[in-house]
Amino acid sequence: MAAFTYAPAIVLLPFVSFLVALFFGDRMPKGGALAGISATGLSLLISVWVALDVAGFVGSATGYNEFIYTWVAGVGSVALRFGVLLDPLSALMLLIVTLISFLVHIFSLGYMNDEGETGLPRYYAGLGLFTASMLGFVVANNLLMAFMFFELVGLCSYLLIGFWFREDGPPSAAKKAFLVTRFGDYFFLIGVVGIIATFGTGLFAPIREGGEVVAHGFPGLAEEAIVDGATEHIAMLDTVGMDPQAWFTVLGLLVLGGVIGKSAQFPLHTWLPDAMEGPTPVSALIHAATMVAAGVYLVARMYGFYAISPTALAVIALVGGFTALFAATMAVVKQELKQVLAYSTISQYGYMMLALGSGGYVAAVFHLTTHAVFKALLFLGAGSVIIAMHHNENMWDMGGLKDRMPVTYWTFLSGSLALAGIVPFAGFWSKDEVLYEALIHGLGSKGGLGPAYLIAYTFGLLAVFMTGFYTFRMVYLTFHGQPRTDIARDPVSVGWNVKGPLSVLGVLAATIGFINMAPVAKLTGAHIDFLHKWLLGQEDGGWSAELHTGLHHYEKLLKEVAGVGVGEPLGTIGTLLASAALSLVLAVAGLLLARSLYGGSEPVEHTDKLGGAKTVLMHNYYQDEYQVWLATGLTYPLARAMDKFDQGVVDGVVNGVSSVSLFGGRRIRRIQSGVVSNYATLLTLGLVLLLVAFGVVGGWF
Amino acid sequence: MLVETLLLVTLLGAGIVMLAPDRVAGKLAAGISVIPVALTSYMYYVFLTDYNGVGNALLSPGEVAFGTQIPWLNLGEYTVQYYVGLDGVSMPLLALTTILTTLAIISAWTPIDERQSQFYGLMLLMELSLIGVFTALDFFLWFVFWEGVLIPMYFLIGIWGGPRRKYAAIKLFVYTNVASLVMFAGLFAMVFATDVTTLSLPAMATAFRAATELPVYAGYSLATISFVLMFIGFAVKVPVFPLHTWLPDAHVEAPTPVSVMLAGVLLKMGTYALLRFNFTMLEQTARALAVPLAIVGVVSVIYGAMLALAQRDLKRIVAYSSISSMGYVILGLVAFTPLGMGGATFQMVAHGLISGLMFMTVGVIYNTTHTRMVGDMSGLADRMPWTVGIFVAAAFGYMGLPLMAGFAAEFFIFQGAFNAATLGSSAPVLTSLAMFGIVIVAGYLLWAMQRTLFGGFKLETDYEIGPAAFHDVAPLAVLLLLVIALGVAPDISLDMIQHAVAPLTGGGA
Repeated sequence: MAAFTYAPAIVLLPFVSFLVALFFGDRMPKGGALAGISATGLSLLISVWVALDVAGFVGSATGYNEFIYTWVAGVGSVALRFGVLLDPLSALMLLIVTLISFLVHIFSLGYMNDEGETGLPRYYAGLGLFTASMLGFVVANNLLMAFMFFELVGLCSYLLIGFWFREDGPPSAAKKAFLVTRFGDYFFLIGVVGIIATFGTGLFAPIREGGEVVAHGFPGLAEEAIVDGATEHIAMLDTVGMDPQAWFTVLGLLVLGGVIGKSAQFPLHTWLPDAMEGPTPVSALIHAATMVAAGVYLVARMYGFYAISPTALAVIALVGGFTALFAATMAVVKQELKQVLAYSTISQYGYMMLALGSGGYVAAVFHLTTHAVFKALLFLGAGSVIIAMHHNENMWDMGGLKDRMPVTYWTFLSGSLALAGIVPFAGFWSKDEVLYEALIHGLGSKGGLGPAYLIAYTFGLLAVFMTGFYTFRMVYLTFHGQPRTDIARDPVSVGWNVKGPLSVLGVLAATIGFINMAPVAKLTGAHIDFLHKWLLGQEDGGWSAELHTGLHHYEKLLKEVAGVGVGEPLGTIGTLLASAALSLVLAVAGLLLARSLYGGSEPVEHTDKLGGAKTVLMHNYYQDEYQVWLATGLTYPLARAMDKFDQGVVDGVVNGVSSVSLFGGRRIRRIQSGVVSNYATLLTLGLVLLLVAFGVVGGWF
Repeated sequence: MLVETLLLVTLLGAGIVMLAPDRVAGKLAAGISVIPVALTSYMYYVFLTDYNGVGNALLSPGEVAFGTQIPWLNLGEYTVQYYVGLDGVSMPLLALTTILTTLAIISAWTPIDERQSQFYGLMLLMELSLIGVFTALDFFLWFVFWEGVLIPMYFLIGIWGGPRRKYAAIKLFVYTNVASLVMFAGLFAMVFATDVTTLSLPAMATAFRAATELPVYAGYSLATISFVLMFIGFAVKVPVFPLHTWLPDAHVEAPTPVSVMLAGVLLKMGTYALLRFNFTMLEQTARALAVPLAIVGVVSVIYGAMLALAQRDLKRIVAYSSISSMGYVILGLVAFTPLGMGGATFQMVAHGLISGLMFMTVGVIYNTTHTRMVGDMSGLADRMPWTVGIFVAAAFGYMGLPLMAGFAAEFFIFQGAFNAATLGSSAPVLTSLAMFGIVIVAGYLLWAMQRTLFGGFKLETDYEIGPAAFHDVAPLAVLLLLVIALGVAPDISLDMIQHAVAPLTGGGA
């Protein structure tokens, strides 16, 4: 238990570094960087301790789920609390976030300080708050708290993407990032409110005291309602007039809106490429460990709720598969280093969604982990190149950097091999598992689920080829061949604070896949699928029985409630090998195509051969155009028209009433002529009229 | 005696400040206005420790905090009393009033440069009336204060306002006065139809709620007719679409400190009165009319937000967004749930702080740049970093950033309304529609910030621009801290509010 009681410190330390950097950063060396480095370093250490505790090395292999703060006690209403949920999933995510954030802080020493930048306290304050928000989101034990930190993550992305506010691009990109994700969060918020209204709680997992459940988690309540028909604790069903499963699907899809926004899935992915306006280390943080990862993590966090809804699963898988392919095609034609990486991020998160949707919970978490490492590496490597190139990001101005910056090259290559999915680098193992899960569940699932999975799988498979191609197009253009500009001939050298993080991540990108070599484990029977075991839990006892967040439980739900089955037409080993071989061959084919097109010493642009398709791809399928049109071509003119209506009609009536009274007043004033005989006439007429009136009413006549 | 002290201090203070020379008036007024702040802080503390958990002032008058009840005069067959007291609804609003008054007075030091003693005297006079509105428990007394607020407001806008100040002041005065008349007619129809003998609010509440066999006109019960008349009367003050058009004009013409009071406190008089009269005294009617009323609220939310999107004047943007925020209050009130009604009242406080903060920040920018037009300036972040930092924080507060008061309030309302029995099966739909306001508000505030605060520095007026003075920024910082405090620990206010609305929502104690 010891480590768990210190868990809030993991979140609070970066928050303190935010305050320190914000208020005292200008009086500190390097603008408060040291505060951030030590805070995230300490958080990393505590996270390691927590992970060891969860694993049972220093404790009892239990989970931890406690309330720590009462936000609203509630008089006659539901109590709203903050709490910490620690299980293998959150422990792993804590490690990822703190590690990446720590390395990004160190890297920033080299990246930011070399520019004579004045806003450093603001920068490190932003990094600290960003890390704290994400960590708060990761440990959240209920949906409301998760939503709140999710929003804070959005704020931080706004502040950091718009860091260089004196230029025109970054503020616009920051606005877009917040607005597009806010649109997704709108649905998420409805989902949060709906779930709390329906279940009376937003808890992800039950809270126990002495073995007894004192507070239920909503996935558990939903499961009981569907499996056992126990709907007495479920509200709202009469209000909406749906059966439990349909209503839960609606709620799940609403929450998914936030996921699609933050994890940059189609159609809310448009903010992410623009977000490249932010400093490169921030991009690394956003893409690898914080904001974009938040969406996928949320689905994994409440997987018990999605695993009971086949419709939601199918939607997740299809959105993910489609996004994986869709984004990969756009990455093929980009000319700027960070743009290629941006679209690859969208594509890779598509794979994670595909895995989650198709019942590959471990595969998704695995890919989340490996991607965090290799994408952070690639962004930091790109940052190193950008330093060297005096902030020129166009790959056509580079070339030949291989010999001039060897550390960057070899680490970047390691990350690229991982991204492309070449054995034995990290990405191969995780991407292979994603596709394998999609395939076998596609072949084995009942109803519409199977075909949906197979379609999503096909998308994912095609994207493998694209990934291999665009990754190595990027590598060849940047590092190989002859330098194409003077700057590329004589790049600026980078310091230890850049090379250090790159080396750490470079080694990890090559090796982290070994935590879950599921195919090897299955072939040899050796128990080396560590991540699988980490997330599995026991069937009874331990954290998984306590919290119901273990893979055992999810697999049962997927199989029994959602109808996700397994189909292996070539036998277990045969299907496994065929799937792995297929994705590897495609990845290598992509790599080789890139090599043949761009591997020469004087590469030329081949994208023109795509003809009209290139225009479409360069314009990102006109996704930006229509979304900008929705804002400036539709909503704004509508607002202007409403303003005219308000001024003209609504206020016009008000002014009209006053004009009529003034006009009427002026007219009636004319009676007051000042001539006594007129008054006498009026008086007499009035008296006569009154008498007549009284006479008629009183019945005198 | 505490409420009387408050009233006396502000009354005497107003007199003293009016007679003081101009150059000391601002400091003197600020000093005097600190006394009510200290007193209400003490009362708040006592309330939290001794009175927390007391019921509604109108429904369980025996439990009223800081109550005083003295017979005053007889109007025909009706007894009028000096009757004041507080409950969990009025206590936070009273605290809001005193705090905002002090901060608004400090924020006036820079922009108000003529006839200062009269300006600050009128500000204190307005505070007097506002304190009266939130503490009075007798209708006659309450109505005197209610109308009394308008008089200083009229002069504050009419004398110290912008170019069209006369139009704006008269519009405000006539519009809200006519509305009071409509409200008065509706209320007294009920008074005459029931057997009340004193005009105390609790007595009226008891009589109205117990009234049976009310006359029926044209198929509508008198309760319904009165409800609608009173709703219209109060809705002007809130304001609710389509009775809102006095608001943007008043805000644009009013000097910053007056805008702060107008948006921060005066609008809350409308929602406070709605809660006290319509939703407490005529609860059954309110429940029956919940769906149409919620629609009115939702339309206000979206309509106000869309209009804010169309504006170029920063003050108009905030003014229209107030209409949007007040729409949430209506939605929360009609829900008749602990979180809905509690959240609605919480939103009155939260919006008071946040809109005050927004107006003050815009005011600081205006004092320095002499323009409020988006497009006339850009890149202010470069020259006034702290002001811009607070602007960004305030704007995110307005957008409902978690751990700030606005999010808490809006979330409570959404949660409270989403499955409200009064709204039936339309509850989730109406609530979801209202929630879309959080997207539009982000749109117009982010867009306005992008164009004014960021980018290359540009200013199309002939003024030197530099960091703002300490006494300009300090009130902003205080408000921001309060907004964050209420966002992190909403139970500072929500708990007492929920206790006070519990008899209405049927929730337990």
